[in-house]
Amino acid sequence: MRKLMGLLLALALLTSFLAGCGPQPTPVVVKETVEVPVEKIVEKTVEIPASEQLITVHNPSGNPPPIELVPMAPRLDTLDGKTIYIVDVGFTDTHQLFTEMASIMGEKYPKTKFEVRTKAGTYFDNDPALWDEVKAKGDGMIMGVGH
Amino acid sequence: MGVPTAPMTTMRFAELVHNYAYSKGMPNERFTFVPHPVTGMPAATCREYLLGKDPISGKPVIDSVVEALTKPLSDDDMKTGQIERPVERFLQPDTEENLHRLFLENGLTDGLPIVVPTQERVEAMLAATSHKPDEIVGKMQASSPHPAWSYTVEQVAVNAVMAGCDPEYFPVVLAIASTGVPALFTSTTSFTRAVVVNGPIAKEIGMNSSTGAMGPFNHANATIGRAWTLMSKNLDGGGKIGETYMGSQGNNLNYNNICFAEKEEALPEGWSPFHVQKGFKADESVVSLFNGWGLIRPDTSFSKDLAPQMPYWLQFTPFTSATLYLDPVVVRQLVSEGFDTKEKLSQYIFDNSKLTAKSFWGDYYHVQNFILPNAKKGTEPYASWLKLADDELVPRFRDPQRINVLVVGGEMNLFWQASDLGYMVSASIDKWK
Repeated sequence: MRKLMGLLLALALLTSFLAGCGPQPTPVVVKETVEVPVEKIVEKTVEIPASEQLITVHNPSGNPPPIELVPMAPRLDTLDGKTIYIVDVGFTDTHQLFTEMASIMGEKYPKTKFEVRTKAGTYFDNDPALWDEVKAKGDGMIMGVGH
Repeated sequence: MGVPTAPMTTMRFAELVHNYAYSKGMPNERFTFVPHPVTGMPAATCREYLLGKDPISGKPVIDSVVEALTKPLSDDDMKTGQIERPVERFLQPDTEENLHRLFLENGLTDGLPIVVPTQERVEAMLAATSHKPDEIVGKMQASSPHPAWSYTVEQVAVNAVMAGCDPEYFPVVLAIASTGVPALFTSTTSFTRAVVVNGPIAKEIGMNSSTGAMGPFNHANATIGRAWTLMSKNLDGGGKIGETYMGSQGNNLNYNNICFAEKEEALPEGWSPFHVQKGFKADESVVSLFNGWGLIRPDTSFSKDLAPQMPYWLQFTPFTSATLYLDPVVVRQLVSEGFDTKEKLSQYIFDNSKLTAKSFWGDYYHVQNFILPNAKKGTEPYASWLKLADDELVPRFRDPQRINVLVVGGEMNLFWQASDLGYMVSASIDKWK
């Protein structure tokens, strides 16, 4: 058995030597001319149809101003004990919505005071006196309605 | 104001109010919507609306209102700072066909084909003014609640190219842009505008003031008026249906905004060109802009004096305005009746077009919406008019100056047109050469 192992080892060493694992022979440089085929370059004009040409155009937009974010006013924890103004902006023939609103809200929130007001002037006009009143006496506001 | 508010409006304005709240810096504003319309609805219907559901959110209306007032704010609701909205000078390169589609699908046109604004075309347009491309021309807003956008000479040129303007028309387009008046206005009542050119430039650029002047027969008339509408869509973000344009039916006249030149050479002695009436010199070139709704063609009799027939045809809504488009043949007739100035004619119509107080206060939505609230506030003379007897007369027009007279036409017949358009503003064209 020991003899067989030695024989196999010797055989493996011989195989590896023959396979190049041993010292390398000095390479021999042979100069050789190889002809590589060169493609002839021919200039060719390819027409891109007008319909496929990319064009650059100006943006027609104007410049919107930056938006200044405005934090919303703090909300109420409850409507109880509060005064809520119901403000009609004054669009023609819509006041009935606000009187109905006051009636419904009054039934649903009996501990809340609802004040109905119509903004002075047309629905385009500012009404600083009303805003002062709401700020001074109100806790919140419901406002509408337009058409 | 610092007071928690629950804003309400009707469902048809949902896009508009959200867009508006965003542009005013409160993108999370808590709107409640009710069915549309509310105006004129009986109290019982209004009660039904309020006890029903918000047609946009599906929540009960009253719950939505209460939630708007009481639901705690999120971090987003309390944000401060600034959102920049920069605009790229050029669009992504693409084929002409795709660009046409892009302009159309993004609402940058009036629905008709445009001339795509290449650099070369815009440069040619810019060469027609001494003003620098980056000079700010003005600011325009789609309507009073919307923020004003600014725009440069170059951005105006882009829109002029798109409309098909020749470069020589560019100073006229710049003059229109300088007024900041949009051609498209968001009112639900569907306004139109008109633009009238006076002075030497009208002839220099070949505008029509004669036969067919108010129709589709002249390149300058057509494209200058169209450029105004395109500017109104693009320079201020206007004309977006539901967001910045709410005209219920729209107005066909907005395609080119009744653009023409006054026929100054046909004015008889004593009749001043419109721009001279507004304080400009006769040799200045000027655009004048008008606002209103529509045109009529009065059926006046040729066998009678003309002026006495005019007030009948001008029974427009009180306290709007009137603009008369008189063919030179009509002008000669009026001169023969003693009207040797435009102003005399305006005064005559003012004096002879009054209506009863009963009709004034009772028959017109415009009066009820815009004049009655001021009368109730004590504004004179309206407050006193409220006290008049039903059959007493009040003026139909605010003053004679609200009755504008323009001369245009090819002298084909003794016809004239009128509109309820009122004068807005004039601007120098020479300044933009």
